Amino acid sequence: MAAIEQYNYDIVRKFSIMALIWGALGMSAGLYIALELAFPLMNFDIPELTFGRLRPVHTTLVIFGFGGSALFATSYYIVQRTCQARLFSKSLANFTFWGWQSIVVLGAISYVLGYSQGREYAEFAWPLDLLITVVWIAYLVIYVQTVRHRSQPHIYVANWFFLAFILATALLHVFNNLAVPVSMFSMTSYSAFSGVQDAMTQWWYGHNAVGFFLTAAFLGMMYYFVPKQAGRPVYSYRLSIIHFWALVFLYMWAGAHHLHWTALPDWTSTLAATFSIMLLLPSWGGMINGIMTLSGAWDKLRSDPIMLFLITALSFYGMSTFEGPLMALKSVNALSHYTDWTIGHVHSGALGWVAMVTFGSMYHLIPRLYDTDMYSKKLMYVHFFLASIGIVLYITALWVAGIGQGLMLRGFDEYGNLAYSFIETVIFLKQPYIWRAIGGAFFLAGMLVMIYNVFVTIGRAKKEVEILEAKIAAKLASA
Amino acid sequence: MWDWLQWFTHMGNSKVAALGIFFALFVGILFYVFGQKQRSERLESYKYMPFEDDDTLPTNDSEHKGTQDERD
Amino acid sequence: MRHEKIETNVGLLIVLTLIVISIGGLIEIVPLFFIDETIEQVQTPDGKDAIRPYSALETRGRDIYIREGCYLCHSQMIRPFRDEILRYGHYSLAAESQYDHPFQWGSKRTGPDLARVGGKYSNEWHKQHLMAPRSVMPDSIMPNYPWLQENSLAYNDIASRMKALRLVGVPYSLTDAEYEKNIERFGKGIADQLNIHAAEDNLVAQADQGNYDGDQSRLTEMDALVAYLQVLGTMVDFKQYEEGHFAEFR
Repeated sequence: MAAIEQYNYDIVRKFSIMALIWGALGMSAGLYIALELAFPLMNFDIPELTFGRLRPVHTTLVIFGFGGSALFATSYYIVQRTCQARLFSKSLANFTFWGWQSIVVLGAISYVLGYSQGREYAEFAWPLDLLITVVWIAYLVIYVQTVRHRSQPHIYVANWFFLAFILATALLHVFNNLAVPVSMFSMTSYSAFSGVQDAMTQWWYGHNAVGFFLTAAFLGMMYYFVPKQAGRPVYSYRLSIIHFWALVFLYMWAGAHHLHWTALPDWTSTLAATFSIMLLLPSWGGMINGIMTLSGAWDKLRSDPIMLFLITALSFYGMSTFEGPLMALKSVNALSHYTDWTIGHVHSGALGWVAMVTFGSMYHLIPRLYDTDMYSKKLMYVHFFLASIGIVLYITALWVAGIGQGLMLRGFDEYGNLAYSFIETVIFLKQPYIWRAIGGAFFLAGMLVMIYNVFVTIGRAKKEVEILEAKIAAKLASA
Repeated sequence: MWDWLQWFTHMGNSKVAALGIFFALFVGILFYVFGQKQRSERLESYKYMPFEDDDTLPTNDSEHKGTQDERD
Repeated sequence: MRHEKIETNVGLLIVLTLIVISIGGLIEIVPLFFIDETIEQVQTPDGKDAIRPYSALETRGRDIYIREGCYLCHSQMIRPFRDEILRYGHYSLAAESQYDHPFQWGSKRTGPDLARVGGKYSNEWHKQHLMAPRSVMPDSIMPNYPWLQENSLAYNDIASRMKALRLVGVPYSLTDAEYEKNIERFGKGIADQLNIHAAEDNLVAQADQGNYDGDQSRLTEMDALVAYLQVLGTMVDFKQYEEGHFAEFR
């Protein structure tokens, strides 16, 4: 109980719960648009429900709602625990909470109403971009001030990753969203750059949203929760030093691999491909550092579902950071680009790594926030298997879809004519799209099991506190 | 005598030059981090930080197994 | 210097991190604004710019294209591969998207590329296809967009839209000097279209003449979107250039 007074856990609880809720909503939106691709009838001729408007809702809810809230929660927890200092300014922290939640809500509403900047993962209209900037500055101030007030001379490696994530996201967000609004009262704006330069800026942003928001920050999570859960320190602190600097340096170069073979100059995309391949090294360095932390305690995988989540997450991280450089090769990219292989790759990272490491961390974190135990270990296993089956179905379906479509589109018949029309590839995609939706449904089901498990846990914890308080009150009364 | 510096001014050499510089830097960092035993030990000593907060015991003992965290 | 210096000093950690994360972007993005070959010069035989900014009506169509999230399923970037050139036409030039704020190259082809869809189908086909894609393409998975025909086009703010685009570098003319410059650069006909003062009139006139949605009585969102689709990829007449003319820019 002392810890609860010592640290600001209230803000961590709020963000944790919202992460789970956004996760369920965002994944539901994802499942829905996956079904729209398999069964176009589900667009229902309703503008607000069409794929084009719901897709940014899905990406925003899962990346910024689920991922963002999970990062706020864990970073606020980790910075307090590793600095042994209370979080800076309760009111500013609450501002980041309400600010961030309103950004996600307003973002989703504005997309279905048709207000979009037309930039992937940066669809927020300009007033929301300004709000994001303000909230983000508050986040940076809180984080830096808390680190400055630490009662430890050293800043733990997890905090380096969180700091790099906050700084890089600020940089990316500001430059990618430079735009001129049509008027003070219009939600529409036109981006400052055009064509080639705009494409480069957008994918510098887009790839590093993955690199810093969805990787560096979650590595920060990993560097705290894996050692804590394993009960042993991280495998190599020296490796983490190299891992950190190499990762933050190399990631920023890789964005242009999204623009291979386009009108972007060749030198830029070649440079990006080179750095993408080099990126394999720090990525695997991080993975090895995480997995080897468990070295000598592998038996935990048999008894501890949280460890299972964390180690599986690291394995998927290793897999998708191998697949990524492969797809950044120009020859492979010629086939994979514009196809569902890319979507499958993103999800092996997003579901396999980001979501799984979040689940593991949350199962570790939530009982501690409420000073109790998880309600059901069995349900944690159920969640784990639902999620794992879901990911495997999902990425396999999209490998088939992406590689299949890529090969069909470049196929020629014996006379040198195109072997397939575009619509024939669409027909081919129907089956994989259905399997993809089934995979997504498994994953969502696991998420719902987690929410049930967590809410029962919290409910019981509150009841325990009530009973305890009643006992104390009774004792005091009788005395 | 300084003619070789001219080599750096050609745009065509920039890739090789950059690669050389970054690689040298990388090797330098590797050497710094892993080169000396004493320094290595010092750097590794910081990894116990997450265990220095109040609800767990420090686990400097590498033989230590099981967790204080286990609550099940 | 000991690494501990960084590990114990948050200010130093921040500064070094900022430096390290800035290098990649600086080296890859900034030169794109200064290297002339990044965007090729494409001129018509009489020495005018071949690529022109979108007209008022096309600009509104483009807004609708973005509003409906078309870029999430359709790319506008043909790569220099044999299959793509056979399927879609000449590979896309950097110059062709130089007035695209934001760019709409896309990242996924759930539907076909649209970089050169202009002129490929009739206005009637586009209207029918947007209203009910499966009525012309039975296996299409595109949503129906019937509201495009129902919604009247809002164009009262077209001048402010063009002014905003002018601020980010699109040569729409506000002053006489700019107008004169546009005549020199694009020819009189196009310069008139780029005149912000005449934006509303131009928009209505183009919709009337083009009759994009087959309904002369109303100006609908369908008019604007079809006008936009019909101009895509049509500005460069590739027959005028020798084969390989644009290859030096790749």
